[in-house]
Amino acid sequence: MTGSRTAPGSDERTDAPYTDGGTGADTSEGGSLLGTDATTAAEAGQKAGGLTGVRALLRREILRFVRRPGNTFLPPMITNVLYFAVFGVILGGRIDQIAGFDYIVFLLPGLIVLGTISNAFENASFSIFHGRWNEYIETVIVSPLSNWMFVAAYVVASAIRGLLVGAIIATIGLAFVTVTNRSIAVAEPLYLVAFMLVISTLFAGLGVVGGLWARDFDYLTVMNQFIVRPLVFFGGVFYSLDVLPTVYRLLSLSNPMVYMVNGVRYGFLGYSDVEPLLALMEFRGVTRHVQPFNRANTARRVSRCDTELRPTV
Amino acid sequence: MAAIRVCDLRKSYGDVQALDGLSLSVDEGEFFGLLGPNGAGKTTLINVLVGLVRATGGEASVFGYDVVDHYREVRDRIGLAPQEYNVDRFFPIQEVLEHKAGYHGFDRRTASRRALEALEIVGIAGKADARFHQLSGGMKRRFMLARALVSGPELLILDEPTAGVDVQLRHDLWEIIERMNAAGTTVLLTTHYIEEAERLCDRVAILDRGRKVEVAAPDELTRRGTDTLDIGLANPPATAPQFSRNGVVSARMDDGRLLVTARGGSELVPDVLRDLETKGYTVTDLDVRRASLEEVFVDITRTAEGTV
Repeated sequence: MTGSRTAPGSDERTDAPYTDGGTGADTSEGGSLLGTDATTAAEAGQKAGGLTGVRALLRREILRFVRRPGNTFLPPMITNVLYFAVFGVILGGRIDQIAGFDYIVFLLPGLIVLGTISNAFENASFSIFHGRWNEYIETVIVSPLSNWMFVAAYVVASAIRGLLVGAIIATIGLAFVTVTNRSIAVAEPLYLVAFMLVISTLFAGLGVVGGLWARDFDYLTVMNQFIVRPLVFFGGVFYSLDVLPTVYRLLSLSNPMVYMVNGVRYGFLGYSDVEPLLALMEFRGVTRHVQPFNRANTARRVSRCDTELRPTV
Repeated sequence: MAAIRVCDLRKSYGDVQALDGLSLSVDEGEFFGLLGPNGAGKTTLINVLVGLVRATGGEASVFGYDVVDHYREVRDRIGLAPQEYNVDRFFPIQEVLEHKAGYHGFDRRTASRRALEALEIVGIAGKADARFHQLSGGMKRRFMLARALVSGPELLILDEPTAGVDVQLRHDLWEIIERMNAAGTTVLLTTHYIEEAERLCDRVAILDRGRKVEVAAPDELTRRGTDTLDIGLANPPATAPQFSRNGVVSARMDDGRLLVTARGGSELVPDVLRDLETKGYTVTDLDVRRASLEEVFVDITRTAEGTV
């Protein structure tokens, strides 16, 4: 046994005058955790409306990605610098205006959507699945958080990561737009904020579903590469639906990404291939359905990892 | 009020019946041991109590709160040190404890104070900034205990808390757990070390194949075991003399000494000596070897298997 600094409880602490609740033992012998005042927070009246627990989990989730900018913020920065440089500047210079906008300006909202939803999705699915894989998510399960608090913390933290990445991409895009002597202003700020909130929350919620559904790390890659990315690429990030033949345009209208990309584009440019208000209502509806699903399934799916994952590890 | 009350609890995984109608009650403030061979259902029972496994039948409550209907009340009162390491390795260990205390509703300042205090109690405060995987094996076990007690639990559940640790550390951990219990915390302990149960537990339950086989104080169980009277005779015979007394299980000669196994062996000593005298033997010396809890445990679980 190395590094065993002190015998249990022999460490004198002067800054915290613990009492042991009347057992008569010296306070230096173990401190309050071992005394009869070893009370739960509930009894100590510290529940703060019951939200302290969910705040603690939210904090843990946010710190997890904030402290690893090299893994969480740097990759989308590099990817989007490449997108803006290659598609926006090099190729975009040879493309006519789309719907009356320079191509780099038209591209910007779509790339923001792409980055926001993939990061919101990836954060929730990775965090949940990693916790299941290494079983430390059990620490959260065996804590007195209600199921909705549990889901809310993961969804909100992941949505925040999506929004931060969206903001980073917006900054990079604005830099490129400025450097190429063009300008862009936010035409419909309320729409922009509403769409960003809804799509980041929706994909954070879907990420929770994915993290609970996954049985292996490969599942996460599959979901991102085979489902999210194709939908986004055919969702009008890089082109206007107007350039498509009628059949493909109609087909595209069944792709939910089209509405997200166009919603955010409407927020920025005041232009959309589809009716923005209708799209916003749709997504509010979808998001409202995903979260209760998560709430109902979280405890069950997480505990199922106990029996399903372990033998395969 | 019972700290734990379990009634006809069942859990099946397909064909495997992990818990098969288990009923059990643990009193408040008690130090209660769960003994049983691998696969007896000890960990499944614990997982039902903390909410990691859903029972397929029966009821379980902790301090009167049903583990399904009032899961938040239940989980707020339990501190769990599982057998397998399931620690968040993204954060230094002190922060891991702060998060855990936070989930239990302690504000950040209090959580931070409790985290440090828990590390001090188990003697690894010097490693507060280390990640879990950087700790030595012994420190990892210490940390598991710290995490269980950081939320100030009324019920401490320890699943093999001293598995694979050296003697010194085992005694350190025992001391901490005993002090928790002395201060009023109910303790539920599973262990493979019978000595651990003998030394720590007020009562032990022996489980086998998802069922309770026996509940009693360790002393009471050892009294039920068979003791061995190891008797030296002046002229040892080739075959052992037989005794027709209640309690005597067998008698045999081993290396020139007479070995009599009997229930409640020490009480039978005068009778056995008298019988030997009547048969014309001269006893030179006598030694009584008490049954160990380990032998009783093996006996009980073997008998239970035989009856299935």
